[in-house]
Amino acid sequence: MSRARIILVWVARLAVAGMFIGACLAKIAAPESFALAVHRYRLLPDLLVNAVALLLPWLELLCGVAVLAGPPRWRAAGALWIALMLVVFTGAISLNILRGIEASCGCFSTRADAAASDGWNLARNATLLGLTLVILWDALRRDQSAAAGEPAP
Amino acid sequence: MAESTAGRRAAFLRMLPASATLLALAVALGVAANLVRPAATRLPWASDWSRHIETQAYRAGVPVLFLPGVRERAGNPDWLICDARTPEQYAAGHLPGAWNLPLEEVDARLGALAARLTLQSELLVYCGGADCTDALELALKLRQLGFERVTLYPGGYAEWVEYGGEVRTGDEP
Repeated sequence: MSRARIILVWVARLAVAGMFIGACLAKIAAPESFALAVHRYRLLPDLLVNAVALLLPWLELLCGVAVLAGPPRWRAAGALWIALMLVVFTGAISLNILRGIEASCGCFSTRADAAASDGWNLARNATLLGLTLVILWDALRRDQSAAAGEPAP
Repeated sequence: MAESTAGRRAAFLRMLPASATLLALAVALGVAANLVRPAATRLPWASDWSRHIETQAYRAGVPVLFLPGVRERAGNPDWLICDARTPEQYAAGHLPGAWNLPLEEVDARLGALAARLTLQSELLVYCGGADCTDALELALKLRQLGFERVTLYPGGYAEWVEYGGEVRTGDEP
């Protein structure tokens, strides 16, 4: 594996894990405010809003830790969840922008004065998704090599 | 090539139990964290969001604006901010530039604002906070009267003050 590729994978792991671990803290600390942020997307039935608000930040935390410090198989698992979350988050934010709702995405802050979502959120998510796919691809290759008893690629 | 594809598929399948474990752990941690939270801050697993003021506004077709958007509009001459609370509450403190428009006195007070208003004016209404419905009722009343652009600030005066917004006192905007 080339030095540049190793650096790229580590940068991706640090950036994605940092974002997701950082993003979950405010949500874990203030689930009621995060539930309101989830509700504002108007995508979930009432019955699921609080459950998602209570569970999603923990999934973000665990996936962030797995991507940062887990062995390849767990890294891949964390990256897969993060990729799925990013696709859903990006779709939801896009929908809010299209509907003209000036609401915060609830990504990093649950405060009422958090800035409304805009194109910057979409660009950031697209970048994170690209980095997450790099992590997933690398982790799967490493797991494949380990299973075959070969040295890490 | 076929071997490599099969290997990748096998690696993907080996990852799935780890993915399921991450989800199960997240559920366990979420449940545990909510259980150990003080009862006052514990979030019920399901709430009746249909009674939330924003849901009511959405169903009534009244657009809502949140704090950053309200800050942008406060002081904008194209927007008229209306405080739906009582004159006493208004005098004790209100958003800068807001006019007092209590529900019971809408018709009389609108007359005084006639020179500033057209049916196409941008109106932003608020009341005490997320627990009051006066602002939404005012928004609906204004729409009945023909005003086409009425927006609700659901956070209201309480949120404005909580986040350090400037406050004016007295009977004037």
